Amino acid sequence: MNAITETRADTRHLRGRGMAASWYGIARTATIDRAGAWAELDDGGTAKIVTGVTEIGEGILTVLAQVAAEETGVRPEDVTIGDNDTARSPEAAHAGATRQTYMIGNSVALAAREARKVLFEQIAEIWDIEADSLRAFNGELWAEGTNQRMTMADAVAQCKARGVVPVGSASFTAHGTGLDPVDGKGSPWQTYVFGTQVAEVEVDTWTGEVQVLGIWAAHDVGRAINPRGVEGQIEGGVVQGLGQALMEEYITVDGHTTTHGFAKYILPTSLDVPEIKCIIVEDEDPTSPLRAKGIGEPALVPTAPAIMNAIYDAIGVRMKSLPATPEKILKALQDKKAGKAA
Amino acid sequence: MAATNCLRQNPDADIDEIKERMGGNICRCTGYTKIFEAVEIARDVIAGRRDPAELEGDEPLGQSFIGHNVRRIDAPAKVTGRLRYAADVKMVDMLHMQVLRSPHAHARILSIDTSEAEAMDGVECVITAEDVPGTDGFGVFVHDQPIMARGKVRHVGEAVAAVAAEDLVTARRALAKIKVNYEELPGVYTPEDAIKDGAAVIHDYAPDNVVKHIPLRKGDPQSGFAQADLILEDEFTTQQVEHAYLEPEAGYAYVDHDDVVTVHSPSQNITHHRHMLADILGLPINKVRMVMSAVGGGFGGKEDMIYQGMLAIAAMQTMRPVTLNFTREESLIASAKRHPSKVKYKMGLTKEGRITAIAFDMLSDGGAYGMSSEGVMRKAAILSCGPYEVHNLCVDTKAVYTNTPSGAFRTFGGMQAQFATESMMDMAAEALNLDPFEIRRINMYRAGSLTHTQHKLDRASLDQVLDAAEKASNWEKGAPSVRGATRGDLAGPDVRQPCTLGARIVAEARDLKPGDHPTATPTEAAE
Repeated sequence: MNAITETRADTRHLRGRGMAASWYGIARTATIDRAGAWAELDDGGTAKIVTGVTEIGEGILTVLAQVAAEETGVRPEDVTIGDNDTARSPEAAHAGATRQTYMIGNSVALAAREARKVLFEQIAEIWDIEADSLRAFNGELWAEGTNQRMTMADAVAQCKARGVVPVGSASFTAHGTGLDPVDGKGSPWQTYVFGTQVAEVEVDTWTGEVQVLGIWAAHDVGRAINPRGVEGQIEGGVVQGLGQALMEEYITVDGHTTTHGFAKYILPTSLDVPEIKCIIVEDEDPTSPLRAKGIGEPALVPTAPAIMNAIYDAIGVRMKSLPATPEKILKALQDKKAGKAA
Repeated sequence: MAATNCLRQNPDADIDEIKERMGGNICRCTGYTKIFEAVEIARDVIAGRRDPAELEGDEPLGQSFIGHNVRRIDAPAKVTGRLRYAADVKMVDMLHMQVLRSPHAHARILSIDTSEAEAMDGVECVITAEDVPGTDGFGVFVHDQPIMARGKVRHVGEAVAAVAAEDLVTARRALAKIKVNYEELPGVYTPEDAIKDGAAVIHDYAPDNVVKHIPLRKGDPQSGFAQADLILEDEFTTQQVEHAYLEPEAGYAYVDHDDVVTVHSPSQNITHHRHMLADILGLPINKVRMVMSAVGGGFGGKEDMIYQGMLAIAAMQTMRPVTLNFTREESLIASAKRHPSKVKYKMGLTKEGRITAIAFDMLSDGGAYGMSSEGVMRKAAILSCGPYEVHNLCVDTKAVYTNTPSGAFRTFGGMQAQFATESMMDMAAEALNLDPFEIRRINMYRAGSLTHTQHKLDRASLDQVLDAAEKASNWEKGAPSVRGATRGDLAGPDVRQPCTLGARIVAEARDLKPGDHPTATPTEAAE
């Protein structure tokens, strides 16, 4: 404990902890979801992937490069991912609903697998062995139990010299059903994720300000394809959840905004960010080839309630209306005091 | 730039100083944490405390690329500013678009006179709803939104007309020359008002102003509540939230050599946008092409096709490329926000903490157009009562039209609903003297559970994440009964210090060494 912490062990700054759990469905809700992809093992031992993917900042291009590399045997840096273009790439639909890793990841895995199969069949004939003894990883291809080995660049060249371009394509489907219009019965998704977050806060009872000091975020993602990317998504979700919990509010008066710029619309900045401890839980999804699920939206869900539960733990007032601004906290504290006095 | 400046000012800046010096920058994707880590690595490399090879080197590769921290392939272009967003793209002969927006929340458009604007030098076209060649209307679920206001405006900031001109200034000046006569109509600004008898009707097709109502019914709530030892009732509200993506809406359109109308924009769903735009333009689907430009954040806010249609129509009329870049202020008023919601909650539990019944009623502000409201209500209903098996429930979620903007936002209603549920769970835990983890374990989904939509789960990992969070946070067990003052698990190694604004400056003023903390801020000293 340093000096600041000691001075804050007072009646003005009160600390508390709260937790919240959550769940979420993966891919489009209450409908069949679909995604297509094309793959080609290209000159120089590279891979070309074309699919309707949208890199929205979450790192999906890196995830797809890893998946394509894993399935074909090339290195991730040797994967080229084509632009998303309705006239040039197969449909993989939208960037939302926590669906890209699941839908497009599986589609790319299947397409890449098909391209690899074409390549393996040609190399197996050249080496006169069974195709299923072939393995490829990190730019090299070899036959198990033999000393046969070559680079992926040579493998593609030899395949093409035999008149065959190693290409593949795939469509991945997630089966959800609509909801019954009367009782809502239905199976909206084929896989679900769960999360739990713990928040530690300090409330300044003089100003009503809440500082979130720590968040422990445990999330099931099925299988973390890029753990650092998963952490990034959790950290981004937590901070967005924190903004919604404590400060963000788009206000309109008779339909006219009074928060017309970032001077009025308050967002979390670096000083609002708590220490975030991510715990990645991998409950693999048996219904899909990659066995991964997703994390984009679910990371945000438990943050605000965990913070509200922590505020209650600290100062004994339950914030039921978001955001829990300093003004609302002070009012709640005053109401509590008045209630006790009455 | 802020990071570079920070390390120039103080090459030994600690994490608190780095945070403070970067306090003027906004990041909406990363949650800042990875940025702080990067700045700390850079600081140590510059100071010679870490090997520069760390910046280049990857982690040792095992047997698989799955689960491996491969470096982000798109990061170098983003960090160095080499990535071109739609607003960065310039084409030969490109025209600049500006949009005239509604000053009224709800008004009938009596007339629009564009003649003076059209006559201006440098103005190539002025378009209104009259210029839409095909069947107007877009939306994620219901196509109730015209490319530009048709007959009436339904929210402040709605597009009414657009100008394409040789330069931005001319386009802006031309907007001022467009004369629109409005007849103001009574507005509806809260969902409660929207469903009152006699409320102003916002869309003729929905005289009750209801966009979508999703009901879930399971078991027998009445007998469930009868079995309860404890019944809690409360209300929870959430607010409108702006996505605040760093890249405001932007795009450009042109007609190519094969007569294909092509639109580049940072859309979250070009597949659906192409479908809708083909109908709106009255073209075969292969004569419309949507290309995804680099996206600077979306969070659901770029699922709505609120400007691509205007660009396409202007490009078709002028046969020249046309670009449109929203200002931040324009982005704020013209784009959708997270649905505000009000949840009326009733939960019954046994004294052991088992939920016997839930009644959950959500009313949401669906805004002026349908956008994603139907899906948001569906997801809010499906997820409503949280990851707990509830045998008896009655859930209703309803979004209604108002004269405000609402649409899709990360979690699509899931957050609004579960905020209410998770608050109720803690309130129940306190009333029953149960640890908050424990009450959740008592009720949680397990393999074989039936969800709120009666979907039988093959597996459920809630037990694993509860255990993981409890262990990692070193959680001290106990009922959530305002025990912050006495609990022993606070201020552990995984929490940051509270920050006091200006602490570093005070420290410097007192000539303390960097890294030292002042013993008290001026305010505290005055206590």
